Amino acid sequence: MKARRQRHTLLPQALLLPAVVLFLLFTVAPGGYAIYLSFMKQKAGGGLFGTDNPTTVFAGLENYQAAFGDAEFWHSIGRMLLVAVIGVPATIGLSTLFALCLDAKRTRLVGFSRLAIFLPYAVPGVVATLLWGFMYLPATSPIGGDVVNYFGSHTVFFAVANVAVWGVLGFNMVVIYTSLRGLPRELFQAAELDGASELQIALRVKLPMLAPTLTLVTVFSLIGALQLFNEPTTLKPVTNAISSTWVPLMRVYTDAFVDNDIYRGAAASFLLIVLTVAATVAANTVLRLIARGSER
Amino acid sequence: MRTTVVRATTALTAIAAIAAMAGCSSSTSAKSSAAGGSQGKVTLTFVNWDGGMQAAVDQWNKENPNIQVQLTKPSGTGYTLYNKLITNNAAGTNPDVTEVEYQALPALIANKVIVPIDQYIGDISADFDKSSLAQVQFEGKTYGVPQNVCPMVFFYRKDIFDSLGLKPPTTWAEYAADAATVHARNPKQYIGNFSAVDSGWFAGLAQQAGANWWTTSGTTWNVAIDDAPTQKVANYWSDLIDKGLVSPEPNWSPQWSTDMNDGTIIGWVSAQWAPNQFPSVAKDTSGKWVAAPLPAWDAGDPTVGIWGGETEAVTSNSKHPAEAAKFVKWLNSSAEGVRTLIQQVDAFPASLSNQNQDALKTPPPFMSDQQDYNTLIAQEAKSVRTFQVWGPDANVTFDAYSNDFAAALQNKTPLSAALTQMQQATVDDLKKRGFSVTG
Repeated sequence: MKARRQRHTLLPQALLLPAVVLFLLFTVAPGGYAIYLSFMKQKAGGGLFGTDNPTTVFAGLENYQAAFGDAEFWHSIGRMLLVAVIGVPATIGLSTLFALCLDAKRTRLVGFSRLAIFLPYAVPGVVATLLWGFMYLPATSPIGGDVVNYFGSHTVFFAVANVAVWGVLGFNMVVIYTSLRGLPRELFQAAELDGASELQIALRVKLPMLAPTLTLVTVFSLIGALQLFNEPTTLKPVTNAISSTWVPLMRVYTDAFVDNDIYRGAAASFLLIVLTVAATVAANTVLRLIARGSER
Repeated sequence: MRTTVVRATTALTAIAAIAAMAGCSSSTSAKSSAAGGSQGKVTLTFVNWDGGMQAAVDQWNKENPNIQVQLTKPSGTGYTLYNKLITNNAAGTNPDVTEVEYQALPALIANKVIVPIDQYIGDISADFDKSSLAQVQFEGKTYGVPQNVCPMVFFYRKDIFDSLGLKPPTTWAEYAADAATVHARNPKQYIGNFSAVDSGWFAGLAQQAGANWWTTSGTTWNVAIDDAPTQKVANYWSDLIDKGLVSPEPNWSPQWSTDMNDGTIIGWVSAQWAPNQFPSVAKDTSGKWVAAPLPAWDAGDPTVGIWGGETEAVTSNSKHPAEAAKFVKWLNSSAEGVRTLIQQVDAFPASLSNQNQDALKTPPPFMSDQQDYNTLIAQEAKSVRTFQVWGPDANVTFDAYSNDFAAALQNKTPLSAALTQMQQATVDDLKKRGFSVTG
């Protein structure tokens, strides 16, 4: 009896091992190295180019102070939040709407529509952004780029959020749709018998039961928003509206690979990890509370 | 049950992937040991993004069976490549020879990515003029053989200029007046654009005006990016932008290409290498563009700055620096190497003894209507004025340019303020790195 239980507890661990090893190798180890780097700095040596005996010295909290006290770093966070404020509700709203539409009784061409909505997710972000770049620029725009300035100082946030939204919409829609299909059909039939319309069923029956799924999807979207990088980076060369430090990840990239200060980049990225984890935990807690509240 | 299978498969795939990676690295080491092998045959790796470079490499490989060169196109050009070189340097994975634009050379030297090659190539000072040598020689050491000279010139759509009754402007005052004329006749048309993505372009204009962004005394750097000549250039363009006489669209964007192609933008302040770029920028306009000397600040002053220009440098990772240096010297100063560069890469050679080559008597294909194109370039090359030296953190300066100038265009604020920010960013970075700085 005892031996059998032991085998039960060892098997999952053995199966987990490869994943754990990969995680340690490719996430924890580089992460640890990055933290080490964030406490160091390069000091130029002698000579005009500082090439005589340059040294890497302990910098203490200097890099963190620099990152923390850097107005541009906070501006980049502000811009990221603006895009998130536009993009996350739009993603959740639209993907829920599409999922509900697909799940409605009278919908035709469900398979085709589902694929059509999901397809943008399969297109690599950089490719999608290039395409949107063409759509936004007046000279090549089929969507009125010569009337609307998609790269205005304010509109640019919508322009970037739009690209990001279409990139993740399909994935979220599938998650929500799958969860909808898993709901007990009898409930809808009961509501129908009670005289509820399709719309009422969607809003009063389906939506509340989707709460846990929506929580999950929102957290995914939030994490995605915090990692915003591809879209603004790809759009940068076509417009003056996006700088190389537009969002935090671009700031980190610029620090490390444009200004060649990997030490400061490491500090900024570690700071960003802390902020991301904090934001994710906070969002998770708040959303769970809301979901629990609506279940009652 | 099914999920277990899926997970197990995933794990197996991951393990296979690791095995594949391990396989990769072992095959690399096998290759490098073969390269340094017993037959004395060496294979050099060479990174360069210029179209047509393969022809030069093929030529070399044919004549040098024992020093074979393998050309790779980098995934990104300019600073994308240099930053990769700096990052890879520590890992020791850089190619033997790399393309470097002049303005990036000091940054690569400061990061110990490239090595001096004097001992392999000897004294090259007889074949290059002072301004070319100043781009590759620092503290008495030579870090590359200059490949080309890229004086700035003004390209204009001759057909449209003719129809408007305009001649190419000879001074910046005329350029401004022509800009107004062009825009007044057709509000959608511009004489040119102000590009916030090309700091090298703006630096070239500042050089013409007499700026010296970096100077050195001993081992101390002096930074003067917001000096009077540069302010003059910035204010001049600020004025044109404020009046809406030039397009604020950045170079190389689809918007700009379309505008260049369809006659919305009818002029381009550019440099010698433009004919090599035109086919991808404005493919339908072959033969319609004509090059003229860059407008001058004072009528009759022939001084021009440079935009771009490159050298080939040997990396500190190279195990065969002597062979690499030999290739570099051949490519940029031998009659054969240079001829191929002229014919295939549309280069104008820095090597003085090669500036009379027959190959220069025919213009690049895109400039078929301007038979004397290279004569014009040769003449402009004589009046080139460069900075004394490029700073070891020109990458930071260039990044600051693209951010601060773009923001100024976007927010319609004066360019001179962006210049001050650029100066600040450059000085701060040098100080942070522990260089001795004034300015």
